[in-house]
Amino acid sequence: MRPETDYLTEPRQKPGTELSEAEAIERAKQGDADAFQVLYDKHKRRVYSLCLRMTANTAEAEDLAQEAFLQLFRKIATFRGESAFSTWLHRLSVNVVLMHLRKKSLPVVSLEEATQGSDEDSPKKDFGADDVALAGSIDRMQLQRAVNNLPPGYRTIFVLHDVEGYEHNEIAGLVGCSIGNSKSQLHKARMKLRDLLKMNRAEEAGKSRAG
Amino acid sequence: MNCVELQQSLAEVEDGSTPEQSTHLKTCPACSELLEELNLIVAGASELQAGDEPSPRVWNSIEIALRQEGLIRPRPSAPQSTVPSFSARWGWARWLVPAAAMLLLLVGIYERRQQPVSVNDRPRQEAAVVAPVLNPSGLNDEDFIQEVAANAPAMQSQYKENLRRVNDSILDAQSAVNESPEDPEARRALMDAYQQKSMLFEMAMDQPMQ
Repeated sequence: MRPETDYLTEPRQKPGTELSEAEAIERAKQGDADAFQVLYDKHKRRVYSLCLRMTANTAEAEDLAQEAFLQLFRKIATFRGESAFSTWLHRLSVNVVLMHLRKKSLPVVSLEEATQGSDEDSPKKDFGADDVALAGSIDRMQLQRAVNNLPPGYRTIFVLHDVEGYEHNEIAGLVGCSIGNSKSQLHKARMKLRDLLKMNRAEEAGKSRAG
Repeated sequence: MNCVELQQSLAEVEDGSTPEQSTHLKTCPACSELLEELNLIVAGASELQAGDEPSPRVWNSIEIALRQEGLIRPRPSAPQSTVPSFSARWGWARWLVPAAAMLLLLVGIYERRQQPVSVNDRPRQEAAVVAPVLNPSGLNDEDFIQEVAANAPAMQSQYKENLRRVNDSILDAQSAVNESPEDPEARRALMDAYQQKSMLFEMAMDQPMQ
């Protein structure tokens, strides 16, 4: 899994008095409200963003982030530090989201995998024929919209691998599929995203020409 | 390897580094563009991590749940402060406040019975009897709020609001006494209002402020 970046750290206390994560964990075990909030502030963006990417729904994402943190805080007394706290939290968050998707009967792995070679997902011979090139970099908002428009199964694998940095073997364990299935789903998700981004660019180009 | 085979192979080896993939990519601009665009998507994806901020509602709900479940516990002692606390500053002398209040009330009652006073002066004298009790050290409302702010910032707004209410009560009661100086109810209301203020000051001194 991709390590957490420093910019996520948002110490709430004055300089010189901020808690380290280890201190915050120990104080949270004693029931210290500030320590809980320090831990929440440090990880809230990562957890919430994960929930948002996988559900594409703000209200659901907030509920799931809340549930993930509550589950974590309820178990914090059992945290012994064998693994990184962030790893523990993010894996727990993924499980909360996957459980939610299963409850909603949304596929955590795309059902299209069962029909490999379908028209929609089979390799296209004519790619690029009338497309707009995705030259340069991809706008973050455009990519976010495209991810939201992915079928849920593709979205799950793409978010876990390309956004969150999980390896295929980890994903296979989390969602209950084979490693080969995970790789295949990821490739299809990227191809689908490419199509969505190109469609988006083509629409924008059309609008600007009309304008 | 043709274009279809290349696309299929990218699921397993996504960087196009196998000899077969490399050979095809060298001769196929469309597949080269495809690979480049897939790499752009992968590079952009990492920027989606931690890109969004949850609303404050999330933490509020978490905090409420943690308190209800007893996972957040009250602190065992008041937070350390570099400013001496109200109680620490006064030590045992703070017990003089209620004692002085009682003494001055008794003196006031005694004086009122012994000396004939004009009707209009009576409420002022009663207030004057109580008022010094509230302020034995020259501590006024502003000092009181500053003390609370220094020792317990979280409680400042609550004490401020209580002080505002009790001061309003004093003003109301005072105007009632001014209108009806002989009304025993009005005079008692004024005394009660001052005593409430006295209690507010005592609470701030006696109780650990968190």
